Amino acid sequence: MAALALAGKTRSWCTLRRQLPAALLWGRRCSSRQEEVSVKSDYPIQMENPYKEPPRKCVLCGINVDYKNVQLLSQFVSPHTGRIYGRHITGLCNKKQKEITKAIKRAHVFGFMPVMFKNPSFLMDPKICNIKYPE
Amino acid sequence: MPRYELALILKAMQRPETAAVLKRTVEALMEQGAVVRNLENLGERALPYKISKHKQRHRRGGYFLVDFEGPPSIVSTMMDHLGRDIDVIRRTFLKHPVSKTEECSGIIPVNYEDKLIAKKK
Repeated sequence: MAALALAGKTRSWCTLRRQLPAALLWGRRCSSRQEEVSVKSDYPIQMENPYKEPPRKCVLCGINVDYKNVQLLSQFVSPHTGRIYGRHITGLCNKKQKEITKAIKRAHVFGFMPVMFKNPSFLMDPKICNIKYPE
Repeated sequence: MPRYELALILKAMQRPETAAVLKRTVEALMEQGAVVRNLENLGERALPYKISKHKQRHRRGGYFLVDFEGPPSIVSTMMDHLGRDIDVIRRTFLKHPVSKTEECSGIIPVNYEDKLIAKKK
């Protein structure tokens, strides 16, 4: 706009082009510092994922494992051979699997739980372990 | 003094005889310097497997739980003492289990890729 006003006067366009800077000639506003600040405040704020799910818990999370409750221990043992199921079958976390194994072995030795089979009274218990092909 | 638990399996007997065995066991414990906290009866049930002890084959037994506090030297002496008792089928001492299940944080997913790539030390 300023360039046009100047051109309206007696000076020719060619002299104007040589004398004035390009920004003024074409009426373009140079980027001011105020614009930079507002652009930066538009960036995403760093924060923790608000939609993060709580960590998955295994079946025994929060349950106390004891060598005395034979019914609980028998749920992780094969009904045919009495062998303890592995981690990939029971789906327990490391800590609980270790606790269960220790408790079962203790129960065997102390004379609380049968070794070669599963106690028949506990055969009708709900199934926790996902065995594809039971032994 | 550390806290112990005695898992005792007695021969399936009549009530007065069982009472007499328990009485002499507890008295022996107290003689050694133990403080008996609690005596629990877990019932008379069929044993998980046949146990042969003191020239007899047992199929049923009475389960008892004695929790007490005593000096560590009591364990070996009592094992000896109870081993000589005909009416005791099985005796086991263990440290009193401390039930602590409050800090279970759940299954934390493990990054297997990092474990596969060998780390340069």
